[in-house]
Formats: sequence, C-alpha cells, structure tokens
Amino acid sequence: MVARRRKRPARELDDRIPSPPGYAAIPIKFSEKQQACHYLYVRAHGVRQGTKSIWPQKRTLFVLNVPPYCTEESLSRLLSFCGLVQSVELQEKPDLAEGPKESRSKFFHPKPVPGFQVAYVVFQKPSGVSAALALKGPLLVSTESHPVKTGIHKWISDYADSMPDPEALRVEVDTFMEAYDQKIAEVEAPQGRPSTASPVMVTRRGWGRRPVLPWTEAASLWVLERERRKCAQKELLNFYTWQHRESKMEPQLCKKFEEDKQRVELLRAQRKFRPY
Amino acid sequence: MGPAPAGEQLCGAIVEPEVMEPALEGTGKERKKASSRKRTLAEPPAKGLLQPVKLSRAELYKEPTNEELNHLRETEILFHSSLLRLQVEELLKEVRLSEKKKDRIDAFLREVNQRVVRVPSVPETELTDQAWLPAGVRVPLHQVPYAVKGCFCFLPPAQVTVVGSYLLGTCIRPDINVDVALTMPREILQDKDGLNQRYFRKRALYLAHLAHHLAQDPLFGSVCFSYTNGCHLKPSLLLRPRGKDERLVTVRLHPCPPPDFFRPCRLLPTKNNVRSAWYRGQSPAGDGSPEPPTPHYNTWVLQDTALESHLQLLSTMLGSAQGLKDGVALLKVWLRQRELDKGQGGFTGFLVSMLVVFLVSTRKIHTTMSGYQVLRSVLQFLATTDLTVNGISLCLSSDPSLPALADFHQAFSVVFLDSSGHLNLCADVTASTYHQVQYEARLSMTLLDSRADDGFHLLLMTPKPMIRAFDHVLHLHPLSRLQAACHRLKLWPELQDNGGDYVSAALGPLTTLLEQGLGTRLNLLAHSRPPVPEVSWAGSRVPRDTKDIQDPPKHKDSGTLTLGLLLRPEGLTSVLELGPEADQPEAAKFRQFWGFRSELRRFQDGAIREAVVWEAASMSQKRLIPHQVVTHLLALHTDIPETCVHYVGGPLDALIQGLKETSSTGEEALAVAVCCYDDLSRLLWGLEGLPLTVSAVQGAHPVLRYTEVFPPTPVRPASSFYEPLQERSSLLPRLDKPCPAYVEPMTVVCHLEGSGQWPQDAEAVQRVRAAFQLRLAELLTQQHGLQCRATATHTDVLKDGFVFRIRMAYQREPQILKEVQSPEGMISLRDTPASLHLERDTRQLPLLTSALHGLQQQHPAFSGVARLAKRWVRAQLLGEGFTDESLDLVAAALFLHPEPFTPPSSPQVGFLRFLYLVSTFDWKNNPLIVNLNNELTVEEQVEMRSGFLAARAQLPVMVIVTPQDRKHSVWTQDGPSAQILQQLVVLAAEALPMLEKQLMDPRGPGDIRTVFRPPLDIYDVLIRLSPRHIPRHRQAVDSPAASFCRGLLSQPGPSSLMPVLGYDPPQLYLRQLRVGPKQLNDPGEGTSSTKGHMVMSRGEELVMVPNVEAILEDFAVLGEGLVQTVEARSERWTV
Repeated sequence: MVARRRKRPARELDDRIPSPPGYAAIPIKFSEKQQACHYLYVRAHGVRQGTKSIWPQKRTLFVLNVPPYCTEESLSRLLSFCGLVQSVELQEKPDLAEGPKESRSKFFHPKPVPGFQVAYVVFQKPSGVSAALALKGPLLVSTESHPVKTGIHKWISDYADSMPDPEALRVEVDTFMEAYDQKIAEVEAPQGRPSTASPVMVTRRGWGRRPVLPWTEAASLWVLERERRKCAQKELLNFYTWQHRESKMEPQLCKKFEEDKQRVELLRAQRKFRPY
Repeated sequence: MGPAPAGEQLCGAIVEPEVMEPALEGTGKERKKASSRKRTLAEPPAKGLLQPVKLSRAELYKEPTNEELNHLRETEILFHSSLLRLQVEELLKEVRLSEKKKDRIDAFLREVNQRVVRVPSVPETELTDQAWLPAGVRVPLHQVPYAVKGCFCFLPPAQVTVVGSYLLGTCIRPDINVDVALTMPREILQDKDGLNQRYFRKRALYLAHLAHHLAQDPLFGSVCFSYTNGCHLKPSLLLRPRGKDERLVTVRLHPCPPPDFFRPCRLLPTKNNVRSAWYRGQSPAGDGSPEPPTPHYNTWVLQDTALESHLQLLSTMLGSAQGLKDGVALLKVWLRQRELDKGQGGFTGFLVSMLVVFLVSTRKIHTTMSGYQVLRSVLQFLATTDLTVNGISLCLSSDPSLPALADFHQAFSVVFLDSSGHLNLCADVTASTYHQVQYEARLSMTLLDSRADDGFHLLLMTPKPMIRAFDHVLHLHPLSRLQAACHRLKLWPELQDNGGDYVSAALGPLTTLLEQGLGTRLNLLAHSRPPVPEVSWAGSRVPRDTKDIQDPPKHKDSGTLTLGLLLRPEGLTSVLELGPEADQPEAAKFRQFWGFRSELRRFQDGAIREAVVWEAASMSQKRLIPHQVVTHLLALHTDIPETCVHYVGGPLDALIQGLKETSSTGEEALAVAVCCYDDLSRLLWGLEGLPLTVSAVQGAHPVLRYTEVFPPTPVRPASSFYEPLQERSSLLPRLDKPCPAYVEPMTVVCHLEGSGQWPQDAEAVQRVRAAFQLRLAELLTQQHGLQCRATATHTDVLKDGFVFRIRMAYQREPQILKEVQSPEGMISLRDTPASLHLERDTRQLPLLTSALHGLQQQHPAFSGVARLAKRWVRAQLLGEGFTDESLDLVAAALFLHPEPFTPPSSPQVGFLRFLYLVSTFDWKNNPLIVNLNNELTVEEQVEMRSGFLAARAQLPVMVIVTPQDRKHSVWTQDGPSAQILQQLVVLAAEALPMLEKQLMDPRGPGDIRTVFRPPLDIYDVLIRLSPRHIPRHRQAVDSPAASFCRGLLSQPGPSSLMPVLGYDPPQLYLRQLRVGPKQLNDPGEGTSSTKGHMVMSRGEELVMVPNVEAILEDFAVLGEGLVQTVEARSERWTV
C-alpha cells in the first residue's frame, strides 16, 4: 500500500496536486533529506457577509495542515517570498473571534505541545495572497541557513527555557497585582465616594455599600428545600386506605428482587455458574 | 444389581423440573414466558450490560401472588437473600446430573453388570504362583515381600452393587464416578486372610483377571486401574464407555469381601495384622516386645466391609430430604474449589456426606433445611470443632466391647467413627489437611457473616489453587529422598502399617517438624495431597502391545510433594529465634532441635539464652527466612539435602530489585526517601517569615506511598557531565554527552493557614501563589541553606540528594474556578476541567497518598505487590492508559478485600492475585470498591452499586470507588479506553496460568521474566530508540549488561547545583507523538479533518487519506537524535 502511494504523488506533481475544492496545495518538507511531503492547503481568507472577523479581508491567507515542527517564524520566512508578511498566527483550530492575543504570560500559560495546526498569515499587500496561492514548492522548513531544532536539540533548549528567571517572575507578579488592586479599588470606589455631581442619599447606616450576601445557587436550593419540608409537614399520611396499605408494602424489596433476577440472568448468559 | 431398584426410586425422588440441555440455549424462551410478568425487564441485557431496573408504580405496589408469598417466605427463612437463593439454584442446576444422562449411565451400568458376571472362573492356585495370568497382565500392586501363604481362584462376583453418591443423587458434574462394589464369593477367601496383605493380594489378582477380560470387550473405551482414595494397597478398576460417552461417566469397581467375613475385633486400631517377621524378615527388636499396631492397614480392610452399610445409612438419612442433598452438593463444590477433596487423604465428598448425617443425628441439621443452611451449619461445625482433639462418632450404642475414642486418637490424627464404632472414616486425613479444612471453614464463616454482596461468588465460584492461596510454596523433589528420611526419623512401624508407602508415612512427622520450626512466622502449613495415579490398561482392545500395560506406580512416581506456607506478617520481622535460658533443662531440647544453629547469646537484659539468629538485612530477606529455616531443619533432621528443596518465595523479587543491590526489594530505599520527606516537612512547619504559616504538608507522589517501582536514590551529579547554568544555579544536559540520569522530583503539597486576604479571582490567585513559591524558595535557601528553584507553580528543593517539588495550595481555589455567574447574577458552582484537575492534585491525591502510606504500615507486602503490578502493566506497554493511582488502588483492593483469601504476605502471591483480579473482574457491571480505612458501611456500598448501575453510561470504563471519591472515579477518568482495558484483561488471563505453571514446576521456575515481555507483533509501527538517550535504559525487563555513564558520582561531590529534573527524552518524544496520531483519528468536523491528511483522487471523487509516508518520516524528524529506525510493517496498513 505504501509502495503504491509512493508513486502516485510523483505522477500527480506534474500537473496539479489534488486539493480540497477552493484550496491550493503547497508541498512542504522538513528538509532536503525527507522524501515524502506534507501538503499545506491554502486559501484566501474570506467570510460570509455579516460575519465578523478580526483578520483583514483580502490580505490574509488561511493555511491548513501546518506540520508540528513548523513554527511561526519559519512560516513567515517561507512565505516572505510572496510578499512582506505582517503577522503569522498559529492556532489549534480555525477561530475568527480570537485575534493575536495580548501576549499571555509565559510563566502562567505554558505553550501546549503542538500538533498539526492552522495558520492565519497576514500580508502587507493583497498581492502576497495571490502569489502564495500560486506557490509551487516544495517548501523546506529547515535549511542550512535557518535550521529548525527538533529532537534532542529541541528538548535540551526547551529544558533550559523552562527555568524561569525568578526576578522576571517577581516583576510580572508585582505588576499584575498592582493592576488588579487598582481594578478592585475602582469597582468599589464609585459607591463609596460621594461625588459632587449627584445627590447622596443618607441612610441610617451611613452611606456606602450595604453588606449583602451574594446570591448563590446553594442558597436558593436551600430555600426551595425548606419550602418543600414545610409542605411535607402539612401533608396527610396514612389517611386513605391505599396510603395505609402502601405504607406497609416495601416496593424497594420488589425492585431489588427484579435487579437480582436480572443479575443472575446475566451471569447465566455469561456461563458464570459453571464452577470449574 | 443389588439395590438398583431402590436406587431408581431414589433417582425418581429427585426428578427435576429443569432439564439441563435446553436450559443453555433456552434463555430466550424462558424470557418470553417471563415477559408477561415483567414487561419492563423483558429486553435482554444489552451486550452483557446490566440495566437499571425501572418499575412503574403499579408494578411496585402490585399485590404479591400466593406463590410469590410462599417463595418469599421460604427465602426469608431458609436463605440469606433472594439473590443468594437464585444463585444457589443456578449453581445446582449446573452441577447436577440430568435425567437424560442418568438414563444413559443406568444403561451402561446394566451392561457392566452383565459382563462382570460372565467373566470365566479360574482353577485354584497358590498365591505366589501367578503363571495362570495371561502374558502381559501385571498385578496392580507391589508384591513386597513376594512370598505369602494362601490360594487364589477366580469366581464371578456373588453380588454387584452400586454404592456411593450416584444413587444418592449427590454426585456433581463434571467427573461423574459411579462406585460399584463386587462382592467376592466366600470360596476365594480363607481364614486369616486379614493377615499380611493376603486379602489385598487376592483383591488385586481378582481385579487383574477381571480387567484382562473386560479390556477385550468393545463396550469400553478405556479400562485402567486406579487406587481407592490413593491407598496403594487397594486398586480399583475404572471403566469408561466407548464413543461419545467416554467423558460422561467413570465406573469404579471395588472388590469387597462377603459380609461378616472379617471379625471386627481383629481389626481394632490397637491390633497388629502385618507381622514384622513376614514384612521385615525379622522379629521386632528385643524379643517379647509386642508387635506394633497397624491401624491404617486395619482401616483399609474394614472400609471394604462397610461399603454397603454406609450406603444404607446415607440413603435413609438423606434419601427424602432434597435440602440435605443440595447441601452435600454445595459442600462438594466448596471442597473442590479449595482442592481439598482430591488426592490421597483428601477430605472427600463421602466424608462430608457422613458429616451431614452426623449433624442430622445430633439434631444440628434438620431435614427441612435448605442447601444453604446445610452448608452453613457444616461450615460452622467444622470451624468450631477440632476433630484432631475431640473425635466424633456416629455410633450410638454404648457397648463396652467397642474400642474407646482415645484408642483411635492414639492411632490416627483425625477421628470420626462410623456407625459400627470400629471404622475411623478420617483415617487417611492428616492433621494438617484437617487444619486446612478448618481454616477454610473459618474464613468462609466470616465471609458469610460479613453480608458481603457477592459472598456466593467468593465462597463457591472462586477457585483457590495452592499457588494463589499460600504466600510461599515449597516443592520436595525427587520424592525418593523421603525414603531415607523415614529411616532417619525411625518410622519403621509406620512403613509396615502403610505397606511401604514412605510418602504417607513421612508426611505427618515432616509437617509437625516444620510447624514447630516456623513457629510464630506461620499461620498455616498445608501440604498437597499426592494425586491418585491412573495406571493405563490401554484404551484400545486386543491385540495390544505389552508396552501399553504399565507396572503399578512406585511411590516416588507421585511426583512432588508441595507444601504451602501461609505466613504471619508480624512474625516475619524478627531475625531471632529465642530459646530458653542456658541453665534450664529445656535448653538441651532446643539445642537438639536447632542443631549447630543454636548459639548461646547474652542479651541486653543480662539473660544468657540459647538463640538462633538468621542472616537477613532487608525486608525481602526477612520474608525469606522461612526458606532458611526449612532447609536447615530438613537437612538436620531428615537428611533431605538443600538440592531437593525447591523453595518458591521470591523469584519475582528480581523484578523490583534495584540495579546494584540484589539483597533488597527497595522497601528500605523508599523508607529513606520518606524519612527525608519527613525532615523537609518539619523544616516547612517551622519556617519563619512566610506571610501565612504552613498548616499542612502532604505527600502526593508514589514514592511517599511506597509504590514507586524504582525507588529514588540520592543524586550526586558530576559537574563535568553537565552544562552549568550559574545564574539559575542549575545544571543543563549537554548535547555531546549521553542523556543524564533521570531524577523525578517528588511532589509535596503545602497548605497555608486560612486568610481573608486572598483575592477572589482565579488569575490573581495564581499570581499570589507564585509570589509564595518565590518567597518559599528564598526562605529555604536563607534559613536552611537548601538549593531551591522557584517557578510559577512550584518550588523545587534539593535536600540530601532528593529533590522535592513543593506546591502551594489555596483551599478555596477549586471553588473559585468553579464559580459561574448566570446573567441574572446568581452564582452557581459548576465543575470545570481546571477545577477538577486542581482538586484532584491538591486534595484527593494527598488523601490517597496518606491512606496508602497507612496501608503499607499495616501490610508490609503492599509495596511489593503494587510495584510488581505496575511493573508488569508498564512492561506490557500499557502503562500510559492507567494512572499510577488507579493501579495502586487495584493493588490496595487485594489487601482490603482479600476474600476468599487472606491479605497477601508476599509480593509473589499478591501479584498472582492481581492478575486473577484483573482477568476476571467484570468492569462493565461492577465498580471496584476500595474501602480505604474501612470508612464505607455495608449500606453505603450497596447504595454505591445501585448508583453505579444508574449512572453507568456516564462513568469511565474502569470504575474504582474509594471513600474519598464516591461518584466520579477520578483516577480512571482519562483512561484506560475500552480497548486498552480489554488488552490488559487478555494479557493477564494469558500471563496468570503461565506464571502459575512456572512457579509450580518443581524443577525451578525457569525464566520468570517471560510474562513481563510485551508482545510486539500487534503494533503497526515499531520505533527503535538509541540507548544513549534513554536515561532509564537499565530498568528494562531484560537489563542490558552495560549502559552509558549517566553523570553520577558515588561520593557526594562539591557541586550543589540543582540537577537535571524530569528530563526523559523518550517521554518528551512520546508526548509529541501522541498529539499527532490523536488528531489523525479525530473524525473531525469541517476542515479539522485535514490534519496530517492529504487529498487523493480515488476514481472520480477526491478523498482525504492520512499521509502515512510523510507521517512516518515525521516520526524520525521529531525524534532526531533519539530515534534509530522507524519500522513500518507495511503489510498491516489498511487505511
């Protein structure tokens, strides 16, 4: 099967590499040494009317099937032949809402191990997109001049990177907490401080936020339960004859018996009663 | 046939409504019948899965019918629960003989009867003149000494009678035996035939002639000899029908003397019937001293005379009571599961039937009782009565001429007299067999009383083979050594009594010797009963070679004698055998018992005593002290050399031993690490300067619960081997060197005292925790000079060569993560993946760790069992599917719920039971309840089971419930998948019999690692890695002779930099690989299915196929430097 497939891409390279409708295929390899290629499926980014997208129309290239060793830098380098690249964003899944995030803290959100990804490549000019669609390839991710680390090299450098600088961490924590404190203070402040613009209602407790319990689900459930208990106290038990009769019967036993029968039936089906 | 008509009446009495055969395929039909009543249940359980029962209100409150009421009342009175009743009924259906088969057996018996009566007679000759026997016919008896007086002639039997369980209807499938007694005509026998084995010689000749004639008959598929209850003086002839019924039945022919031929007073246990002059060719030493009594010989003669009276007694007592018969059948199953009934001197079904009769006659059992109640009463009786001390008797008469019970106690170890008062039914049962029966009965009684849900299964359906029931096992092989032992122990009278069977003669003294020597280390010593040999009389008809006819088996042919030791863990810790003070008179006895190992020692309290000290430093060596004791005592007292004692106690220890030390299985190394952790927690408690003080320090790592397969060793890195990173005071691995040693930090969770100052926002809590981690690292370095490294989530601390990873925890954080605000502003708590994960790591994991740590203190073998189990699962390449914790819990279940066994005291037996549990547990329909610290009550467990059924679809494939985790089974949430679990079950089912066979092989277990090697042929792609970059290369099942230097010093070096932590290239590689293929298998929606795929035109349309070739090359690219080759087994690809 493998042997059969090996021939086929070679033949198909001559005319046109098959691709999903609407996409163009660009072969991509890790380096010269590899024989088989992966295929990037690319398309100009476009959305239906009315859908919001943070990616600029016309200038954005949507890339599917980016191999795991392909980084943002190398993709940017590979596509720079088609035109100046403004930004490259690799994602797990196609997602329009999330844009290039404000850089998340590398201490608190370590990058997950990448698999195959999708990419949004934004060129500076729309011509870049059309040039990229016509790209023949095969592209090489790792070359002499720009080697990409994999295997042992990568793991050792990852290990070195995983050791954070305690000072940098401290600084980040401090800045975050300052911002946080400020935010909390802002939320609480408007009610607390009288402003000259609006009149202040003076109450017995003085002005300010009244301490109230937060409205939680547990609390509301508790209220419901209390209501139910009240109702149950009022209900008449053992009043009618049938109630009296039923109170003497034990439906649980009946149910258990049926369960037992089912269990035995199953064991019998599995031939579990043959002792040896 | 004699009482055959009566027998047929008996058979008629137990006509059963159910017929066996149709019941097998008839489940569907029965269902249809039942469906009118229980409509909701009528659908068959889907794919063997139990469905929660839903009954409508009308059905729940339906008036019970009369029939149901009767049934329920019966259940209430006679059984434990309705489930038990149903199960018992099913079991009885399975083991009972069907009417159809009975008819076939009856027909066969009639044929046998006709043929036996027609065997031609032979003129009278001297006993020693056996020339009349046709050529090639061997007498199935050792005629030693050969010369004996008397004459023999063959005459057809005077009477052919069916005796035994077949007529009573208490025989159980499979292996149906029908005993037929052939009464020899009086003319064959002469006076004084009871003497000097004359009767037995005649009996054997009688059978030999019979066999010769019957073997030529085409009716029989096989004709061979066996021995009644293994007694080698009493051969019996086994006949099996030819053709498809060959497996159906075995007819055993027992010749017996005419009634009242032997006078019982000549056969009392105090009488001698084998003269020394004849047997040994000399009169007993010192003239005038009386001949030694031959109680066993006498009993064997008596047994033949009592066959019919026993049958009559049994049929009058059991005949009309179906409950008693059921009880006997259940008891037989019970005995058989425990391997107690088979072999020489077994506790046979006949004995149990007689015991039931005894209990009926003493009114402990009533004839209206159900089978279950009979079983219970008999077990209760066995558990509480010691027949080795207080014998019982069925004899009611108080005739003064009858022998006293004390006489029997003197001659036999177990005493149970029959109704004549002369015959001890338990004559062949050894004391240790009876003690084993008693022990099992006691265990079963506690099990029945404990109201366990599946008591039935544990009691009657779980086999208890010796290797799985006993902690250690030892084989004596070859058995011919026992002959010398008999002489050494001066057992000549016993040999004379047993007719030269030195195995039986030596067994009793041997077990007593070992029991005395092992003393407090031992709970129970049991011996295997030598199997009853079957001597082939060739299966085919005439003409046949003389080769087919075998000589009677010699005593040494009975293979091996296997002894099982059930150890007492508390006794195992001591290396000292304390004797009496030197000036006491007992000291001489002690010295004599222990021989040269006994030494005079002065103790700290000033006493000078005799003592024996065994060499054992580690836990595993201490577990094997019984080995030293056994070999020493056997060599000293019985001349059995060490080479004949094959002790199977620790062959599996090799798999959990460290590389360099072969003397320990790692318990000590783990204890050192735990000690270091204790020191660290003390430091943390006393730490000054943290804004909040430490309120709790909890371990959360397998090392800290003694279940890490390879215990950590202190790291002393050689600085030249690493790239130092001075500003972080850490070491880095170097490219040009082999991968450094793997150091896994041990996780410790550190809780802080409560405070209202914490922010109530998840992100902010993270930052505050990070600040705590930084502060902790600073303080530990300042105050205690420890090397620390802080990150946002943890602080690594190097202490005495061990690395700990301290995680700060804020107890409200999971709750903060759970909070969801609805649009109306209501705050509700919803589980999120992050909150569950955090809760698992900081709350449940420490609880589990401390619970299992406690378990290890109770059961010292826990560590070994859990580690062997994990080692095996991981060696089978299935480790990734199972979390550490889930396997630890399965191992813990073996200790907390050992029924029907007792908690294992050695890793070997624990591991075998692990395999058994894994291969037989029904994960689909049952949760594995692990009752840690005994926190769950019986009611709670029942509730859990029903809750489990209702929620089955939402739960993972493998569900383990603990008191801390009652609903979710957190440790198996993320795996294993159904396929992986199935694979494990299959592997365990294959490994178990293989390993048991290896361990039971007296020639030594062979290569014990066989079951640990994984099958590789099921995989599509094999990736071979370079050993240079595998830090744990030496931990392979087949440890390589040499590996690479891993940069460790043997002495503490000057470097105090943080070693390389958790750097394991194969693991990192696997993590990368796992992301890829997972996406390949994604069914994918929309565009995501392109991942790793390529488009191909197949015919007209375009299809997406995985780009296999490129992916295989990716495997090599991603693991550059580590991967040697990627082998694709291309023929297996079917994409």
